[in-house]
Amino acid sequence: MDDLYLDNIDEFVNDQNKIVTYKWLSLTLGVHVNTAKQMLYHYLQQKRNESSGTPLHATYLVSGKCVENGNTCHKVSVVREDKLDAVKAKMDVTISVHVYSVQRAELKDSSPLYNADYDAVKENLKNCNKYSAIRCAAAVPISSAELQRAQEMALVPPAEKEISKPGLNENASATSKPSAKQPAGIMGMFASKNASKSQESSKEVKTEQKVDSSLVETSKSKTASKANPMSNFFGKSAQKKADEKPNKSIKEETDGNSTASATASMKQSQTSAKSEIDIKEEQSKVTNALKVESQDTRNKTKRPEIVDSDDEKIESQQKKRRRIKKPQPDSSDDEVVPDSPPVPNVHTPSPKKQVKREPVSHQESSEVKRRKRRRVLKSKTFVDEEGAFVTEKGYVSESYSESEEEPEPNSQAKDSSSLKQSFGKREEEKKEKNQKKTSTANKPTKQPSIMGFFQKK
Amino acid sequence: MTTLTRQDLNFGQVVADILCEFLEVAIHLILYVREIYPSGIFQKRKKYNVPVQMSCHPELNQYIQDTLHCVKPLIEKNEAEKVVVVIMDKEHHPVERFVFEISQPPLLSISSETLLSHVEQLLRAMILKISVCDAVLDNNPPGCTFTVLVHTREAATRNMEKVQVIKDFPWIVADEQEVHMEEAKLIPLKTMTSDILKMQLYVEERTLKT
Repeated sequence: MDDLYLDNIDEFVNDQNKIVTYKWLSLTLGVHVNTAKQMLYHYLQQKRNESSGTPLHATYLVSGKCVENGNTCHKVSVVREDKLDAVKAKMDVTISVHVYSVQRAELKDSSPLYNADYDAVKENLKNCNKYSAIRCAAAVPISSAELQRAQEMALVPPAEKEISKPGLNENASATSKPSAKQPAGIMGMFASKNASKSQESSKEVKTEQKVDSSLVETSKSKTASKANPMSNFFGKSAQKKADEKPNKSIKEETDGNSTASATASMKQSQTSAKSEIDIKEEQSKVTNALKVESQDTRNKTKRPEIVDSDDEKIESQQKKRRRIKKPQPDSSDDEVVPDSPPVPNVHTPSPKKQVKREPVSHQESSEVKRRKRRRVLKSKTFVDEEGAFVTEKGYVSESYSESEEEPEPNSQAKDSSSLKQSFGKREEEKKEKNQKKTSTANKPTKQPSIMGFFQKK
Repeated sequence: MTTLTRQDLNFGQVVADILCEFLEVAIHLILYVREIYPSGIFQKRKKYNVPVQMSCHPELNQYIQDTLHCVKPLIEKNEAEKVVVVIMDKEHHPVERFVFEISQPPLLSISSETLLSHVEQLLRAMILKISVCDAVLDNNPPGCTFTVLVHTREAATRNMEKVQVIKDFPWIVADEQEVHMEEAKLIPLKTMTSDILKMQLYVEERTLKT
């Protein structure tokens, strides 16, 4: 290829002081993303060899396998150049490294990286994967007729949406692109909060699971009346994608509700209200096959709302999430939903988990609701014989459950602890929904420290 | 297409709201990028659909909010010409001045469907430019402080001195040494033009900073 692109990049970086990301470059010059990555690399090489003029800074995208907390996970992160070697050394296997962006400014945080290609991506939203290397043949937009029908169905169970709403709202909040900086001290508090927020919002898998479980409950009450239109819906949608293997198995399952989006409906059909184990195992195979594709489509369709978090620990989080989610379908014992298994490239005993679901959920609930008694300083106000108000303070033994303990505010600046804390918070949210809390959370009485206002956020 | 005049105060209030929100975000971002305060007090928040750094310190936030609360009436009446964020070294000599030049067209003609999203896009670009401004500016000496100055048209400040918009938050006429900077270099950052607002952002930087 000719070298005009080097001049182009030079103009963008030096004259216009832009942050040139590979994504923006590929959309602007109309080239494939891999070509854009190479262009940036060559430009960097050339400028560094010249060793004159303004200093350039670059960020890299590193992905690979690493072991954290004893779990193998696939980690994708955007790192600054000075941290690149350290991050590569931490990984067991480095699968890919490429230039993410080139800019003159030394970025203090990763927010401008997201801002840099926001507009370009938004303009090309319909065909944002035109130059991308990620492909999925099944990801086609559904026709307007089907969309209408899906919306009518979605209007029917409005009450059940309440549970799914908090999850979906978290999903909608934008997260910035990950930065590899390891904060320490004061920053550690902020890092943990950011990590928890980004992890909460980035797990579309989980929110879809939530939607699945809530809609399954409605489907149980309405299967009889809705069975026929539903089967028609699935019949039609299955016909559209008849060439796909998983859809043949979906055709056999005619029960189930649908949601507005096609990908969700695919998953929805898998989590239909049939309690036979053989169908569930079939579903697990189906979800296995579709999982990779649906994740890809999700990546594509939700481009502006970046899903990347600091460390995308898909497998470990899914495992933990499955355990937390189990108590939820407690009320509907017979028709418990099989959660979708994790990405197939990491081997996990997912079918076993489905069979063991019933005993696990019971065990889970007993773990969750371990109640203890402890003495708490409480004040009682009453009227004494002279008609005066008297306030007495005394120790009262009160029962509380483990989950009501507040999480440690001063977390270490390590990913594992921030992960744990985010899970601690998530567990609390989940359990709060399950338990009917009659006792208030018991806060230990202590002097508020000067760092108190940091914790409010 | 609706044509409104300055008398349509309701719309003037909308413009002032938008601008004051933007200035708040911009001031926080300037404090973060120029390292006036340690980065530990900043937290990522979302504005215009992108992440921005805002401070969590309550007193700092209150100060900035009070400042902009007083500036808002001036913007509503289109009396504010420039809002300047001055960064000063330990001896209170300015080292950098971030100047937001504001002008509003007297006749506002709006086609409301895409107006606000267009304005949001422009403000997003301004935010991006502030984030990368450290490429064109030299580093500041340690121990800098900041202040906000407002240049008004005509004599609008006389009213401000008479009427305290916020109690115990008086505005005073700025010292000469804060307003004028010796050996200043002008570095333009971004210009935005829209139906409701025209804004220019440039930095005046002192040649020798330490």
